Amino acid sequence: MNDLKFALRQLRKSPAFTSIAVITLALGIGLNTAIFSLINDLFLKGLPFQEPERVLHILTKGKDRTDEFQMSALRFMLYRDGQTIFSGFAAENQQAATVSGLGDPLSVPIFKATANWFDVLGVRPIMGRTFLPQEEEGADVAIITDRFWKARFAGSQDIIGKTIVLDGVAHTIVGVIAKMPVSWTGPNADVWTTKPMVIPGFSYEKMMRGSAFLRVIGRLKPGVTLDQAKAALGTLEDSYRSQFPERGDAQARNIIKTLPEDVTENLRPGFATLLTAVGFVLLIACSNVANLLLVRFSGRRREISLRLALGATRGSVLRLFVFESVLISLLAGILGAALAWQLVPLVPKLTANFLPIEQGSASALSVPVLLFTIGLSLVTGFAMGLYPALQSSRADIVDALKEGGRGTQGSVRQQQFRKILVGAQVALSVTLLAGASLLITSFVRLSQQDPGFNTDKLWIGVTVLSQAQHPDQARRARFAEQLQTALRATPGFEDLMLSSSFPLFGNPGATLYTRPEGNVPPVAERKGAPSNDIMPGWFRAAGIPLIAGRDFNEQDVMDHPNVIIISKAGAKTVFGDENPIGKTLLITNGSVPVEIVGVVGDVRSVQLNHANNMEFYRPFAQESWPFLKIVVRSPLPPETITYSIQTALRSIDPSLALIWPQPFSEIMAQALGQARLMMWLLGIFAGVALLLASIGIYGAVAYTVEQRTGEIGVRMALGAQTRDVLRLVVNQGMKPVLVGLAIGIAAAFALGRLIGSQLYQVSAHDPLLLGGATVLLMAIALMACLLPARRATNVDPITALRSE
Amino acid sequence: MIKLRNLERRYPLAKEKFFYVLRDINIDIQEGEFISIMGPSGAGKSTLLHILGMHDHGWRGEYFFRETAVHHLKTKERATLRNEQIGFVFQQYHLLDDLTVYENLDIPLSYRRYSKSERAALVADTLDRFQIVGKKDLYPRQLSGGQQQLVGVARAIIAEPKLLLADEPTGNLHSGQGEEIMELFRKLNDEGMTIIQVTHSEKNASYGKRTIQLRDGWITKREQ
Repeated sequence: MNDLKFALRQLRKSPAFTSIAVITLALGIGLNTAIFSLINDLFLKGLPFQEPERVLHILTKGKDRTDEFQMSALRFMLYRDGQTIFSGFAAENQQAATVSGLGDPLSVPIFKATANWFDVLGVRPIMGRTFLPQEEEGADVAIITDRFWKARFAGSQDIIGKTIVLDGVAHTIVGVIAKMPVSWTGPNADVWTTKPMVIPGFSYEKMMRGSAFLRVIGRLKPGVTLDQAKAALGTLEDSYRSQFPERGDAQARNIIKTLPEDVTENLRPGFATLLTAVGFVLLIACSNVANLLLVRFSGRRREISLRLALGATRGSVLRLFVFESVLISLLAGILGAALAWQLVPLVPKLTANFLPIEQGSASALSVPVLLFTIGLSLVTGFAMGLYPALQSSRADIVDALKEGGRGTQGSVRQQQFRKILVGAQVALSVTLLAGASLLITSFVRLSQQDPGFNTDKLWIGVTVLSQAQHPDQARRARFAEQLQTALRATPGFEDLMLSSSFPLFGNPGATLYTRPEGNVPPVAERKGAPSNDIMPGWFRAAGIPLIAGRDFNEQDVMDHPNVIIISKAGAKTVFGDENPIGKTLLITNGSVPVEIVGVVGDVRSVQLNHANNMEFYRPFAQESWPFLKIVVRSPLPPETITYSIQTALRSIDPSLALIWPQPFSEIMAQALGQARLMMWLLGIFAGVALLLASIGIYGAVAYTVEQRTGEIGVRMALGAQTRDVLRLVVNQGMKPVLVGLAIGIAAAFALGRLIGSQLYQVSAHDPLLLGGATVLLMAIALMACLLPARRATNVDPITALRSE
Repeated sequence: MIKLRNLERRYPLAKEKFFYVLRDINIDIQEGEFISIMGPSGAGKSTLLHILGMHDHGWRGEYFFRETAVHHLKTKERATLRNEQIGFVFQQYHLLDDLTVYENLDIPLSYRRYSKSERAALVADTLDRFQIVGKKDLYPRQLSGGQQQLVGVARAIIAEPKLLLADEPTGNLHSGQGEEIMELFRKLNDEGMTIIQVTHSEKNASYGKRTIQLRDGWITKREQ
């Protein structure tokens, strides 16, 4: 206790040292706490399901394809009937529906699930029950979340048995569940119904051709391992391929993930990078404080010697120093937690809500995070204090007690330790700086990437055409024409685009295609490409150039020949130097023949960082879905546009609602979300690392200069001139810097693999950027050396010689 | 060789008041002389030595070194002149702890225009001349006080200065070691080197050909 009091008193006695050490370390601990808090929210909190790691999500991946798909209905049925490894095997199918009868019509995502869906997840209802097997195919029943229950039914206690109208059909509410995690369902998931094999506008026959639309999960039976499950599902995969070789997904392979893996895998590389980066910052901060402690403890040689002379053991001296070090780190932990508390809520905003965290729920102050901070502080305090304490407690009693000993220059070992600290700081900083410069360049290139269409002043919204009112292509096309006519008359609308999908907004899926000539490959071996059903004039309005042929027109309707427009890259991929206009493609797994009437410019429709080999466009009158994307180019405020569109929709069909109305800039921001997150965070970390490293180098060199004042005086007395002294100090200061730079560059090269997958149009080993990072750090290190070196040149040899 | 006229060194105390360390110093020193400067502590002996050695620039008056008017030279020119003409021996030896004997001898040469081979030859000659070849790889802490001062003298003369300034060169040595150093000075003086030493010891002063007594900054006595 006395030691603790003494340590506290020592820290109070030197407020400047204490403040610098605490702030330096608080930066490191705070940034680590912030990242750990995000990791806790995203990775560690776990899904609120029963043993989620025992639940597998089974996806499929086409032959020679990189993207993953859900599962087709036929494959699901075969797997469900043939499997023996799961205690439950379930599926759901996400759509959107319009809720009416609860005030203004409201569009929501709905999940059409098999009856056992919640049992497989291990979710128990708060009220009522989950679905019954007999309700799976025929009953109109619904389960809602407690959030929806409170918001739309005011938490009414007699909710069970009430009805909710979805796309004009009344559904009986049979249960209320707790809201599901965003990482699993996406935002605004509140309503589940049955009939998972029913898709509006999609015939049963069409559905059974192999289109993948079911999210399939299975709960492993007790004792069944993941490897056993993979083997068993592999057998079912072979069985499907041999039984249904003509289905579009016959060649697809199983992709099996546990639920925790499934919801986090996209974020893992990014957060692994961030965790490494923030670890580097902490190490730099620790080495700075360790250096300060070494100086401070070495300066107390007389005190230590006196204690030893009075009977103290080395252990008790060690304890005294370690207490001081741990106290500093605990104070830094408190400050760091406060810093993280401020930082964490900023992160989701920074990433345009790219991270799957419930809005407003990101917080640094949870029990696991605070425990992490305390643990990190204790470990940090102990680790950084131990070596300086060990070194300084080696004092030679007689030598130190005698005035006029060799002073406090410190042992060769201490000097070496200081050089190692500087070298390590530089190595860590240059690695971070190189990583940050790669990610910043990558972000800049990605944000400058032309998506192939004009995104200026765009607004987007979606409406879902109910099956009852708009059951077929013809009626959907008529609705679209009516809406187009109504909206074109709206003042302030410069361009209008109606289509069933829009680039970078949702998943456009993949439509299979092949040329009809020669050896036509079986459906299962055909390639797929995004397909868009568009109204005439869509290309002009979107700013996509027509390169050859013609645009769609009023003649491209249902009873006329099927026509298609393809992208320039698609024309090159499929037809090479041939003219594609007038040629035929077989598309969809129904091998529908379509004539190519035009070629348009390429568009980044799936991801901003990915160019598609092929993109299809079909006339809305010949092919359409009930999900209509309404896109407007207008300088008007988004709220005004939303209001105008809602008014126009209701004038045609009062039951229709508008979903997700938003400026397109938000979609673009989300497309850049991960790149922006990485750029900002790594940029901040690299900035802090640079600052700490430059302080560290400055501190080490300044301390050396102070300790060598006498030597410098002697050298000047022996003829050294200003440039000689400068050279001496800078040479010695820069030696560990250069070693650190070499190690850092090698580390940056090696760690390039870690961020390689997150880079866009920049090599992880870009020599210019790595060189730039090296030069920048070298320049900063040189400045940090030059300042004390300049001071060294002002040493008065007479004073220096006298003080020796 | 050296001519000082009306030289004074003072430090400001309060408004227009000064503390004088040296006052009205007039000295003439010929080439080949061996001068001892004596006086009680605080008399201004070391200050005078540092002015002669061109370390101290805050003085007033005239200082001619071999016809060069030092008082008209800029700091950098004085440093060049000092490097070419003057060597120093210190009471505390001031050898650099982290350098070997060889490297300590090389230090003054590294600050002058000598090629690497010239430096090696000069260091080898000096080691030989002072009979310390066997100690060339030792560090100062591995030498006795006398040996350290021997290296200090060797370092002072290695660049072949015309003037050797010594500030209490035997102050930290026992009498036997002190005598060896003084004999060495006599030998160097016999070889033509001009030497000015500051000393408290009458015995050491007797090695010189002339003594200058200082007290409270004034020259109080000149003895032949």
